[in-house]
Amino acid sequence: MRMHSLWQQHGRQLGTLIGLLGLSAVLWILTPHFMTISNWLNITQQTAINAIIAVGMTFVIISAGIDLSVGSILALSGVVMAGALKADVPLSLALLFGLAAGFFCGCMNGVLISRGKLPPFIATLGMMSVARGVVLIITDGRPISGFAPSFRVFANAEFLAIPIPVWIMALVYLIAHLVLTRTKLGRYTYAMGGNEEATVLSGVHVRFHKTMIYGISGLLSGLAAVLLTARLNSAQPIAGMMYELDAIAATVIGGTSLLGGEGRIAGTLIGALIMGVLRNGLNLLGVSSFVQQTVIGAVIIVAVLLDMAMKKRRI
Amino acid sequence: MKRTVFVLLIVSALFSCQRQGSESASVPVIALVMKTLNNPFFIEMQEGAQAAATALQAKLLVQAPERELDVEKQMQIIENLIQRKVAAICVTPSGSKEIIPAIIKANQAGIPILVVDTRVDSAALAEAGAQIATFIGSDNFDGGRMAGRMIIEKLGGKGNIAILEGVPGHETGDSRLRGFHHEVDKAAGISIVASQTANFERDQGYSVFQNILESQQKLDAVFACNDMMALGAVEAIAAANRGGQIVVVGFDAITDAREAIKNGAMTASIAQNPRDMGKIAIENALHLIKGESIPEYIPVKIDLIQ
Repeated sequence: MRMHSLWQQHGRQLGTLIGLLGLSAVLWILTPHFMTISNWLNITQQTAINAIIAVGMTFVIISAGIDLSVGSILALSGVVMAGALKADVPLSLALLFGLAAGFFCGCMNGVLISRGKLPPFIATLGMMSVARGVVLIITDGRPISGFAPSFRVFANAEFLAIPIPVWIMALVYLIAHLVLTRTKLGRYTYAMGGNEEATVLSGVHVRFHKTMIYGISGLLSGLAAVLLTARLNSAQPIAGMMYELDAIAATVIGGTSLLGGEGRIAGTLIGALIMGVLRNGLNLLGVSSFVQQTVIGAVIIVAVLLDMAMKKRRI
Repeated sequence: MKRTVFVLLIVSALFSCQRQGSESASVPVIALVMKTLNNPFFIEMQEGAQAAATALQAKLLVQAPERELDVEKQMQIIENLIQRKVAAICVTPSGSKEIIPAIIKANQAGIPILVVDTRVDSAALAEAGAQIATFIGSDNFDGGRMAGRMIIEKLGGKGNIAILEGVPGHETGDSRLRGFHHEVDKAAGISIVASQTANFERDQGYSVFQNILESQQKLDAVFACNDMMALGAVEAIAAANRGGQIVVVGFDAITDAREAIKNGAMTASIAQNPRDMGKIAIENALHLIKGESIPEYIPVKIDLIQ
């Protein structure tokens, strides 16, 4: 039996954390505007949306799946919510509608994958297009904007000097961590990603749990839609395009294997923060947006290369 | 070991990115935040701004989201520039309402915002209590009218017209469209047989116009709310072997469009002067920084290129 030191259990996450700290240290040296409290509140607020979507993505990827539809589901939840608010539906009910729309689309993904036996890539690719199309149909392509201050608290308000989106992100990570480590659903998520057939044979209701995992991903896209819509004071039908790639990147940088069966929620948070810090730092330094894309892409590649190299060493 | 390599890689990547040396406190830093850098229009604006900044000894930071309509990324950029404590921010808004929360943040930080090219929704701006220093841009409504009059004249007052619209709800495209309708709707002999969006993009302009060509055998002219879509339409016309039969009028007079007008593939385009916009934006940002007042609307002239 191997010794279970802290390093062996959390080595990959610690590696990513060191990456984040190293990156921050460099930016601290390069610009006086980086290591300030207001800038960190700024970064965490900017990271919240991607980080929340990435939680759902982490569940899905641990179960050896993928969810390409998160951005479109976000747009759909956003316009459903915005439409309800504009129709003078009470705030709590409008939020419920938006989240329910996200959860429903996610569950549809899950059903197509678990019952329809479609590969996750195909099912969610289809949903990406269907949901986007529905959004364009119901909005006629036009954004829905201008909401009451009661809704804008999801962007503007603070609690204990920390912006609400950051609190929501923290809460989502805490709950997701508990679900993944302490519940049946969490255990089955890893089991399905590790060996789906064995999981089925051991009597786990795989179809139900898989549907729930995609449902969670859809629900969290809906939650991200609340934050985005409040932030821009507008629900845009074209919102969330390419968000799936940011979420996948955060998950993968955070050490979750695309092959499934392993990954930790804390890693994803660090992954999302690395992306947020990089974008922020490159803006502060005035680096051109072309270079920014290249740097972010390179970081993703390096993170995964590193992951693979470390795995090889462990074996 | 490997982790050290990872950190070192990021470190070296960042150091190599830092092109500007340390800035002296006396040089004002002005930011120009654009919709995209994938469009020649904005590149010309950037060049105009850069030339003015160099001439007037200001430091210019140019940033843009990766995709033109990514309003959230544009907001992130503005938030980051506020942290950077730039002296003024010139911005071409990705969304005429969606930009307002970012403007409010700049207001709170005491950084003046100069809006360039695309107007901010003035009602929403007033409702939110946000302030902009000025709007620098062309009158897109007048440009649309100019295009409308030009097409009516070319067709001798009779014919079928198609329109390629910009992003729905986007101020720039909408006012061009309104201006165009203002002229064309009152021309009795002209009928608009198709009006669809191609989201300001060239490839979509191609495919959408291909579909329009397929369904409209008798089509005499097309007005595209920007040149990218017009150029897409030109390619679709060539692919359908209907070159020379359809009047194509675009908007912006970008280099490719001027080229196409010269060789006859395109008929005309409305020229805004992005270079002037960039230049005027920087000059006025500097006026503001020095504490001088500037007009709240600074028009930039438009020309018909044919």
